[in-house]
Amino acid sequence: MLVVCMWKVVNCMRFDIESGHSKCITEDIKINAMTVGKYSLVNPKEGYPMPDDYKLTVKVNSPQGHNYHHSDHVDSGNFAFTAAESGDYLACFYAPELRPPRTLVIDFDWRTGVAAKDWSSVAKKGSIDAMEVELKKLLDKVASIHEEMFYLREREEEMQKLNRSTNSKMGTFSFLSLLICLSVAGLQFWHLKSFFERKKLL
Amino acid sequence: MGTLRPRYANLLLLIGLVLTSSLAPASSLSVTVNDVECVYEYVLYEGDTVSGNFVVVDHDIFWSSDHPGIDFTVTSPAGNVVQTLKGTSGDKFEFKAPRSGMYKFCFHNPYSTPETVSFYIHAGHIPTEHDLAKDEHLDPINVKIAELRESLESVTLEQKYLKARDSRHRHTNESTRKRVIYYTVAEYLLLACVSTLQVVYIRRLFSKSVGYNRV
Repeated sequence: MLVVCMWKVVNCMRFDIESGHSKCITEDIKINAMTVGKYSLVNPKEGYPMPDDYKLTVKVNSPQGHNYHHSDHVDSGNFAFTAAESGDYLACFYAPELRPPRTLVIDFDWRTGVAAKDWSSVAKKGSIDAMEVELKKLLDKVASIHEEMFYLREREEEMQKLNRSTNSKMGTFSFLSLLICLSVAGLQFWHLKSFFERKKLL
Repeated sequence: MGTLRPRYANLLLLIGLVLTSSLAPASSLSVTVNDVECVYEYVLYEGDTVSGNFVVVDHDIFWSSDHPGIDFTVTSPAGNVVQTLKGTSGDKFEFKAPRSGMYKFCFHNPYSTPETVSFYIHAGHIPTEHDLAKDEHLDPINVKIAELRESLESVTLEQKYLKARDSRHRHTNESTRKRVIYYTVAEYLLLACVSTLQVVYIRRLFSKSVGYNRV
């Protein structure tokens, strides 16, 4: 049984699902980014074997709806793929109905991009020492920070454009509002005048 | 299959480095909080600095006002509350872990409207002289590398915070834009309606079929 969160003492996320419910986790993945995920059920009673009905169903879908991973009634598993499109990828966990109703605790580790790189194989391939691997990791991290800054800058620019267009729209609408008000008043006046003239009251 | 709980959005998980003993666990996620959502993180060493931030990204609200905020609680493995933030729509936090173990980070939404919370946690460890003395594989340079790594992690932390805040800002802007357009068009229609009704009413007042001439 794969115990994800104790594996190599790496931290990951742990969350609960009540039996009969489901939880979906979305990750924003950029195109052509590598992504790796591992999940496993946490044994509620240490030292005893896992109950047989402690299983879950996992589905991983792309923003367009393509399925990248699907497993039924497992207590652990993993998936890895390269993102074909940019957007929100969904990993859904479904806990089956259990009698008595219990809460399943799941360890989940989902890494994308830089963190998904397999550093142990990099170390073996180049036969470089641990310190160099550390420094390489730092270098990768700095590169990803740099990219992220660019992304933030782009987003900020989009937002500025949006704000400016909202601003100009508001100006147009206010002006239009004034026009409509005046024209409606004018129409009312003209119509009532002609009405009263017809009725020979004016 | 059972009912589908409200979605989480944007889980960004960043896992710390593995090879040396100076590990840097981190996790970031976006959660839709209906009532209480808790996430558990394992802090490896006593004295580690756990830092993080969270931002409430509002759902599409059109008619009501913005959400007042959520409560955030950190509980240590011993069961006592390490940190609490109440009624906030996003903040940073930092504390020194009094002991190692599984820490619980909980978000509580006191109101009925579901909110998406995007948060990021990082537990960083820098080897001390004590660790250096214990483990002969550790070089003093590892301390420097760990410090560098922690600085980079803090930069990443800030970036994630900025990204989440930008996302929330964007929601607000898009909502403003939609509201401006819809409310203005509704206002025009209402104005036209009201003035037509006024004219119709006045005509009725003056029409002969009413039976008496009030003028």
